[in-house]
Amino acid sequence: MNKERVVAPEKMFPEVPEKIFLFRSCTGSMEYPGTENAIKEVAKILGIEIVMDPDQTCCSGYLLTCSAYKPEFSLAVTARNLSIVEKHGLDTYMFCNGCQGYNLELAHIMHEHPEYKQMANDVIAKQGYHYEGKTDIRHVQEIWYRLKDEIAARVVRPLTGLKVASHYGCHYLAIQYGILDDAGYPTFHEEIYSALGATPVFYKERQMCCGYSVGRGFTHKETLVQPHLYKKFKSAKEAGVELMTTTCPGCNTALDREQPNLTKRYEEEFGIPVIDISQLIGLALGVPLEKLGFDANTIKMDGILKKLGIGKGDSDDN
Amino acid sequence: MTTNLDKKALVVGAGLAGMEAAIKIGQAGYEVYLVEKENTMGGVTGQLFSSFPRWENPRELVDNRIQTINQIEKIRVLTTTTVQSARREGEAFVVDLQKADGQVEQVAADAVVLATGFELMDVSVYGEYGYGIYPNVVNSLEFEDKLREWSAAGSKADRPKSIAFFKCVGSRDRSKGNPYCSKICCMYTAKQAGLTKDLLPEAKAYVFYMDYRAAGKEYEEFVRSVIETKHVRYVRGRPSKVLPENGRLVVRAEDTLMGVPIEVEVDMVVLASAIVPREGTRVLAGMFGALTDQYGFIENVPFELRQTGNGVFFAGACGFAVETAGAQAQGAAAAADVVALFNRVPQGVK
Amino acid sequence: MAMVDYYRPLRLNQIDSSLQEEIKRTCGVDVELCLECGKCTGGCSNAHIFDLTPRKIVQLVKLGDEKRLLNMDSLWTCVSCQLCVDRCPSHIDIPRIMDYMREKARKKNVRAQRESIEIFHELMLDSIRKTGRVAEAPLALKHNLRTRQYFKDAELGGRMFFKGKLNPLSPKVKNVKQVKDLFAQTIDKKEG
Repeated sequence: MNKERVVAPEKMFPEVPEKIFLFRSCTGSMEYPGTENAIKEVAKILGIEIVMDPDQTCCSGYLLTCSAYKPEFSLAVTARNLSIVEKHGLDTYMFCNGCQGYNLELAHIMHEHPEYKQMANDVIAKQGYHYEGKTDIRHVQEIWYRLKDEIAARVVRPLTGLKVASHYGCHYLAIQYGILDDAGYPTFHEEIYSALGATPVFYKERQMCCGYSVGRGFTHKETLVQPHLYKKFKSAKEAGVELMTTTCPGCNTALDREQPNLTKRYEEEFGIPVIDISQLIGLALGVPLEKLGFDANTIKMDGILKKLGIGKGDSDDN
Repeated sequence: MTTNLDKKALVVGAGLAGMEAAIKIGQAGYEVYLVEKENTMGGVTGQLFSSFPRWENPRELVDNRIQTINQIEKIRVLTTTTVQSARREGEAFVVDLQKADGQVEQVAADAVVLATGFELMDVSVYGEYGYGIYPNVVNSLEFEDKLREWSAAGSKADRPKSIAFFKCVGSRDRSKGNPYCSKICCMYTAKQAGLTKDLLPEAKAYVFYMDYRAAGKEYEEFVRSVIETKHVRYVRGRPSKVLPENGRLVVRAEDTLMGVPIEVEVDMVVLASAIVPREGTRVLAGMFGALTDQYGFIENVPFELRQTGNGVFFAGACGFAVETAGAQAQGAAAAADVVALFNRVPQGVK
Repeated sequence: MAMVDYYRPLRLNQIDSSLQEEIKRTCGVDVELCLECGKCTGGCSNAHIFDLTPRKIVQLVKLGDEKRLLNMDSLWTCVSCQLCVDRCPSHIDIPRIMDYMREKARKKNVRAQRESIEIFHELMLDSIRKTGRVAEAPLALKHNLRTRQYFKDAELGGRMFFKGKLNPLSPKVKNVKQVKDLFAQTIDKKEG
């Protein structure tokens, strides 16, 4: 089972797509608009065209795990969103582990149970949509990993000496088919850091969950999320981590926004900025700082940029 | 009754089972080719530091068998030799044997005994256990070498202070491993943990288990003695993760008797890896028309326990995981089948 | 939270397997595959704060103790990190059981022990109903108001507000009417 689940990037993309549909993440686009920007900029550099659609809604996965009021709703939402992508004739690329996981799961359910697909299609037909099940659901990090060597060749701001560590996010590694690695001992983020010239750090609690899933960041912040994150950051600090990346805006929110609360509660400063891996790639590829949107971060990137000798206004070389 | 002492047998694999088969067929007066791909006889048994349930030195057993083989004129030992191809000619086989120097020798055999043994599953698929990532995560055969090393005189400075043993790594696992129980791990893990306490009295030994299976003569008493007199700590739960911490390793698991998550700091993790058939066994089975099961172990024909094809027999762990005594007994049983075949007389109606 | 009386011996022949069969039928999860090894709980992100750990949850399904499952705090402290199913040697999808039991708790109107969970879910649904998207900032503010934690996150939220980090007016989906329509046809639809 494991073997079919983990797929080599070359097998995942025999050919790199020229054009992709970027699925907007609610949390990602509102909390850290820099992520979406960075993806667009990096894609531009790599020659991949990005298509988006203002009628795409929330993936509704949040609702499903919260308590699944009615699965029919989530099925209809998924069918509607994916039918929008299918109108463009493209594959769907997420930058949120949650969006990817839920869309995949619901698409899988509709694929396996035509009666559910029919039910969803009946609902969305009144709005003029029809979902076929043709669009493939992927995460943008998969393309970045596939193009790791190309990215390495285009680095204009090498991240030499920067100690970067990953927070993979549970919901990507938990996907049951066609992923880059499972939750055993993934290394594909660390390989990307190396391609950017940075030093990957494997800290002890590397795979510990961010705790924010299913709304726990709202409902169990003190009892659950903070003790959790404290343990995680403590091990990262001990390992000398300077910067952390995510591939899920929910995780990013938890890891970044909660740090001041941790400091207040545990009287310990961590000061580890947390950004999306696409922002890190954008930084190394020379995307102008104002486009990367680091201002949205609670834990500032200033120290990192200073260390790398990158100042404001110091954009790329072209 | 006719006895045709011109008949010849080919035994593939000179581990304990193969050696035993060769000895018994040779002692009955038939010529035997005993083919071994390694440069010495003894197989896995020869690599072991100690055996259960009597703490014996397996080397003594292996040396005794080698000595016996050397005294039997009819046995021709061919080490560093592999079976390249085989074809059936009438009731017999014509087999090409490839030697270390590349030379190919053709031999004829009237019966074949497959005794190719087993290998340990590659447990690096369990990223959570860190085999192949952390140097101090070893499999159970690698740990036998460690025991030998610790039994020798020398500096004791770098010896572990705490060791965790994980059972069922790749066994009893439908998702990444094999659904079957590998049968011998409960016993050898008890042995290894007990020896750890003997050789490193200061060290702590933790055995993570789902249950311990000790069905055999003196087996239950053996495991109990490891717990009660050697004070190995048995923890009921299957570990979930191995993490590096300050140069040591932390094991995360649940104590399922209490229902609480636990952690333990150790210096070494020993994985009782699943017993799987060798890839070469499948190839050999194809050459000789032997039956294999869904996993690639050799399978017997109905009602005949050691026979797997016409004139083809098997013994030892190529059929399924087996302890040393069982391997030896199967070798003898396969030899009995071969000798019976060579001496077959027409059976009339009673 | 006295559910089944565990002080007296549990008489197994009074237990039926209807919950187990229901979960197999509706979720496709077969708890009989459980090897009782506890690898799920050892890997669980939150087992240390669970009132019932993943292995015990599987066992409770076998025991048919629906009442305890619907009332357990773990139902709401599980973060769906999926590590339990990832580690499980039998690949038992425990998060799926949790989803199902959460859904069932809603249907049966079993209120979570912590009020804030209920409020959060209402607000989340409301946000999507009105805008088609989930916006964390207004959600956080409303959540804190409704749970009477007036000053929680105030400093943080305020700071972010003035720097324009959290957009207090959550951007809507272009055609919100379609979202409302989806609600009308599914969630708000009267049964029968």
